[in-house]
Amino acid sequence: MIQNEGLERIQKMLREQGYITEPSIVMSVFLAMQLRKPLLIEGPAGVGKTEIAKVMATALQTDLIRLQCYEGLDATHALYEWNYQQQLLHLKMAEDTGRTLEEKERDIFSEKFLLKRPLLQAITHDKPPVLLIDEIDRADEEFESFLLEVLSDWQISIPEIGTVRATHIPQVIVTSNRVRELSEALRRRCLYLWIEYPDFEKELSIVRSKVPGIDDRLGEQICLFMQEVRKMRLEKTPGIAETLDWAMALSALHISHLDKELVESTLGIILKDWQDIRHTQDSLSELFEKVGAISKLDSL
Amino acid sequence: MELIQRQTSLSANIVAFCRFLRQKGYTIGPQEEADALRALEELAPFGSPESLQLCLKAILARTLPQQMLFDGLYTQYWRELEKAVNAKVKEGAPEKKPTGRQQQQQPRVQSIKTWLQGSQAEETEEMAAYSTHEAIGRKDFSSFREDNLWEATRLIHRIARSLALRQSRRRKRSSRPIQLDLRRTLRLNMRRGGEIMDLAYYEPAENKQQIVLLCDVSKSMDLYSRFLIQFVYAFQKAYRRIETFVFSTSLYRVTSQLRQRDFSIALNELADAVPGWSGGTKIGESLHEFCASYAGKLLNNRTVVIIMSDGWDTGNTELLSESMRIIQSRSAKVIWLNPLAGSSGYEPNTLGLQAAMPHIDIFAPAHNVESLRELYRYLR
Repeated sequence: MIQNEGLERIQKMLREQGYITEPSIVMSVFLAMQLRKPLLIEGPAGVGKTEIAKVMATALQTDLIRLQCYEGLDATHALYEWNYQQQLLHLKMAEDTGRTLEEKERDIFSEKFLLKRPLLQAITHDKPPVLLIDEIDRADEEFESFLLEVLSDWQISIPEIGTVRATHIPQVIVTSNRVRELSEALRRRCLYLWIEYPDFEKELSIVRSKVPGIDDRLGEQICLFMQEVRKMRLEKTPGIAETLDWAMALSALHISHLDKELVESTLGIILKDWQDIRHTQDSLSELFEKVGAISKLDSL
Repeated sequence: MELIQRQTSLSANIVAFCRFLRQKGYTIGPQEEADALRALEELAPFGSPESLQLCLKAILARTLPQQMLFDGLYTQYWRELEKAVNAKVKEGAPEKKPTGRQQQQQPRVQSIKTWLQGSQAEETEEMAAYSTHEAIGRKDFSSFREDNLWEATRLIHRIARSLALRQSRRRKRSSRPIQLDLRRTLRLNMRRGGEIMDLAYYEPAENKQQIVLLCDVSKSMDLYSRFLIQFVYAFQKAYRRIETFVFSTSLYRVTSQLRQRDFSIALNELADAVPGWSGGTKIGESLHEFCASYAGKLLNNRTVVIIMSDGWDTGNTELLSESMRIIQSRSAKVIWLNPLAGSSGYEPNTLGLQAAMPHIDIFAPAHNVESLRELYRYLR
């Protein structure tokens, strides 16, 4: 379907890293790289948003620098900080060396005492890295606007040293779980990609590529079951990681098909909330009916 | 011939398409148009029409709803454009044909043009109606099915967070080496003649902002009771530092009942604890009781008070006015949410509400999901 050299290259690159993809993801990654724009990826937890950045870094043979956002994240943790302890120690040791005040000052405010945090690391890296800003929606709005400034100017000013300009502009991937709405300004700076839970075929090929030894029938049943579970209203809907955990566990037990008892005893692998487990257990027969009905249809 | 014409005008069409999307509420400026054109250059030669669509989608759609609507708008646009182009091509050879035909064509092209450009008001309304959640959005909470509460709950969660998560600018001492507190470090080591040995750190202080929720559960609010309970429960779940009260003729503190992990258990406990469901309303007396027994302990200048009531009052309005004055003067903000405010024929001049109005900071309807979304936007 896709007949463009660049697109094909990206698709191949993702596939080689074991990332099962779809055209919209390939297109977004391609455009983000060509236009040198940050890529904002949204979607429910566990659909492989972060994975894209990792795969890109490996494929481009460059480093992945990750900034994990959290509530109360501030500039000192994202940009840089002086290593106070070492500075104090250095001053103490330099006490009797007869160095002048100016010299001492120059010493302690040199790069040696600078703790580079992810953003500064990313722009001073010797080779354009992939910068992953993970779960930006967890950081507060002030941080978001601060980030915008860095993403547009690609320079950071450190009062004691001066302005540090980017040697290379990193490839930026921003992910969000939509805990809060992101600002319009940030959205406009980025390309946008929404990743949904995978459909049956995609999930099955992911399972098959990541758990190579899995029984064909078991793989299908697991994926069908997951599709149905995701339709339920759960506190925490399981993602691909859970499917893979489950597939790996069952595969390691050399099981060839799902049955009710087995599901009941291993439900803890895919559901991480006791209420969810209880609800699912209650409607297990119903779920099985659906899974069974569908797979029968398939075999016809 | 027609094909060539269309190919060369591709970029012009892209720009026109951007304009079309802009009318549909997409935020697209010159930057986006330029990006789209650049992307097309990178992408050429096109293998498939699908890749053109994917490419434009990646660049022009910036939120989830926009992304969802994009494909529909895209096909709509090109289909209409095709019609317009075909009409124009026929129009292009008018000499041989009687002019009558041309006149017939004229209005058609015109109508497509107006359709493409649209009237602003109409378009925005359409956009709103397109929203994936809109079916729920417009629906009044009184006719609310349980499944729909899901969306409302999520929204309440966000509102509670946006009220709660204002991180304090203050700092407090910390034993963890998070951020060096220079001032305290120097002070601390002064007694050693300036010899620095101990380091002191600080971390951002926790926000002590508190929410007090006062919820009317009298007869007139009956229609909304299911939503109200959900609202209160969701709020409590989203935010720990919250105190919840319900009132009809008198006041009940239900914080501990609601602090249940399971909603049905919480409901049962709540039913046991509050005998006065669906009774008459004495807002004044209830709020007075609040002022007398709890205000001193619970209210301070970081407290947000949220009152959920329709303001229909059979009690003492003077008492209501006085209590509201006290509450407002002692808290950071008073928000009054009215589930009836959205229904047609409602006027906010019930006596109770009139008495309370001067002491309310934010008065907002809360009759459907859309109004909650509005509130969320406002609080952000």
